[in-house]
Amino acid sequence: MRRRTWAAPLIIGLAVFSLILSFVPATAAATDEDKTPERDIMMSAEYPGVVVPKGEEVSMDLIFNNRGRKGEDVAVWVSETPDGWKAKIKTYRFTITGVHVPPDDTKRVTFEAIPEEKTGHGDYRFRVEAKTQDGRFRMARDIRVTVTEETEADTEDRGVKLTTSYPEIQGPSDARFEFSLEMESKLDKDAVFNLFAQGPNGWDINFKPAYESKYITGVRMKANQSKTLAVEVKPAVNAKAGEYPVLIRVSSGDAKAEAQLRVILTGTYGLEVGTLDGLLSLDARQGKPSNVSFYVKNTGSAANHDIKFLSFKPENWKVEFTPERIDIIEPGELKQVEVVITPYEEALVGDYSVSVTVEGEKATKSIEFRTTVKASAAWGWIGIGIIVLVIVGLFGLFRMLGRR
Amino acid sequence: MKGLRVIILKELSDHFSSYRFLILFALITMVSLITVYMVGLNIRNELAGIAKPRFVFLMLFTSPGALFSLVQFVAFFGPLVGLMLGFDAINRERNQGTLSKLLSQPIHRDVVVNGKFLAGVILITVMMASILLFIAGLGLLVVGIVPGSEEVLRMMIYLLVSIIYIAFWLGVAMLFSILFRSTATSALAALAVWIFFSFFITLGASVLANALADRGGAETAESLIKKAGIVKAVTLLSPMELYTDATATVIDPRRKSARSVIALGPMEQISMSRFSGPLALSQSILVVAPHLIFLVALTLICFAVSYTVFMKQEIRSI
Repeated sequence: MRRRTWAAPLIIGLAVFSLILSFVPATAAATDEDKTPERDIMMSAEYPGVVVPKGEEVSMDLIFNNRGRKGEDVAVWVSETPDGWKAKIKTYRFTITGVHVPPDDTKRVTFEAIPEEKTGHGDYRFRVEAKTQDGRFRMARDIRVTVTEETEADTEDRGVKLTTSYPEIQGPSDARFEFSLEMESKLDKDAVFNLFAQGPNGWDINFKPAYESKYITGVRMKANQSKTLAVEVKPAVNAKAGEYPVLIRVSSGDAKAEAQLRVILTGTYGLEVGTLDGLLSLDARQGKPSNVSFYVKNTGSAANHDIKFLSFKPENWKVEFTPERIDIIEPGELKQVEVVITPYEEALVGDYSVSVTVEGEKATKSIEFRTTVKASAAWGWIGIGIIVLVIVGLFGLFRMLGRR
Repeated sequence: MKGLRVIILKELSDHFSSYRFLILFALITMVSLITVYMVGLNIRNELAGIAKPRFVFLMLFTSPGALFSLVQFVAFFGPLVGLMLGFDAINRERNQGTLSKLLSQPIHRDVVVNGKFLAGVILITVMMASILLFIAGLGLLVVGIVPGSEEVLRMMIYLLVSIIYIAFWLGVAMLFSILFRSTATSALAALAVWIFFSFFITLGASVLANALADRGGAETAESLIKKAGIVKAVTLLSPMELYTDATATVIDPRRKSARSVIALGPMEQISMSRFSGPLALSQSILVVAPHLIFLVALTLICFAVSYTVFMKQEIRSI
């Protein structure tokens, strides 16, 4: 009776204490002292058998479980390592040869096996042994690793995955294309991934973190983390319209993944209009045709079809083009157009603005000519003739009638 | 041309010493000065709001101050100087009996008429040049603008055309003084011609245009232009009109035509206003080349007629 009254509050107190510490069953079991043995420890491998592709490292946990009432120091080693492999036991920081397991606790260490380059496919057996300091408990576990032959291993994503929602983007040649890539690391550890991109010559391809504007060439990923990357593609200046593949590759050690992106360039439409000597003024006479020629150049990357010429001119003026229209101008091509400007017969002398608009399918360009209408010099010659005639007549009179 | 020099010098001294000429000269100079002074005071108001005024100096001559500009004034009253100088050139000598005395000297008859005409021209030149220089100096003083080389050139051309114009009226007056014995008759005849060409021809032209172009109904732009064309064609018979058009265009670079009514379409206006620059001097001259040529030809022909008539006349009978 006395013992029970003492036990009840103790149980409640311990239970509350254990709740706070989240040690629900383990600490509560301490009360059942009779059932726990003095010393009891065992070791187990997380995955006694694994299948990995060729060249892949094997990494798993070794679990030590102390069910006794005393803490144990356990020495652990890999006793058998097959040829072509290197195996070690480590924690997150260092290689270990022993581990302390507190009473009634579980401890995990990492078993890691790294194959050499030449290690081929087959079954491999590792043996991990452990023993307590006094040698009372000896434990051994086999780990079987089956290495499979690499089939399509190169193209397959290993350890990392790249996905994109929009693998194709279409746009004009002078645009920037931004692809969004979802990158998912399946490694169980942190890793730095290198980013490569392969595109057509002269193209500018850069990686950016999502929503940031700096360019990166590598990215650190935590285990099983996923990140969104942006790939910015800038086509070469002279890129013609067409389809262009862009290969994206991320890799970190053996983990690598590829994604195929596609840029479809529709080409740009640009026209340049000017005169060959850069002169944008011309002289004309009333009612007389005056010639000037200009060129039309396709500065875009797509062909421009069906180019027409329009003119803004004063009333009664005539502006004619030869040819009247251009069917097609290939990118970079230059075509010459002859313009005949005929001012109105009664146009005033002075400067007029005559502008010519070159109207292509998707691009328009204007050019303005300063047309100086000059007075006809014909009157000047007629006038000189008249005056000479009059003066000659006058001198004739002088000769005829003079000296009287 | 022996004796020409003597005749010219004698004529000049006669002119300069005559009260008639001095009064006339004083009148014209005074009116010019008043005109230009008014313009000088107004020119600032006219230039207000113009970002970069050009050819301001020429505005001294073209801008109408209170009533009319100097160019208009010379066009109207310049002929009077010519008439005054020439209306009694020959018939006064004849009436006083000095002509036969003169011709009894070792002087040829053509030298007399040439000398009198040239003396008149020299006088006109002196008068016009001094007026222009006076105004230019006053412009420098009142407005404070220095003329550019093109402005000086335009002024010189204006001076030349003005001399030719006044010389034409001198020729007309001399013709009448040869034709009529009485100085009063020749003076009245010359005045009549002047009044006819200066005032009546303009009135007559508009009457004629109204009669020809008016078909009744409202005035359209077309009928207005047609009327203006008729008026222009008729008034161009007048040397005054020739002179006014020619000098207005020569002295004002912004004038692009001698026509008074110009039909401009909206597109043409936009197109022209894009580069609204002044004309080059050569262009201004070419625009009014026909006017200038006819003015020169008229003057020469008028003189040639008086010369011929005088040479064929019987003188010694009186």
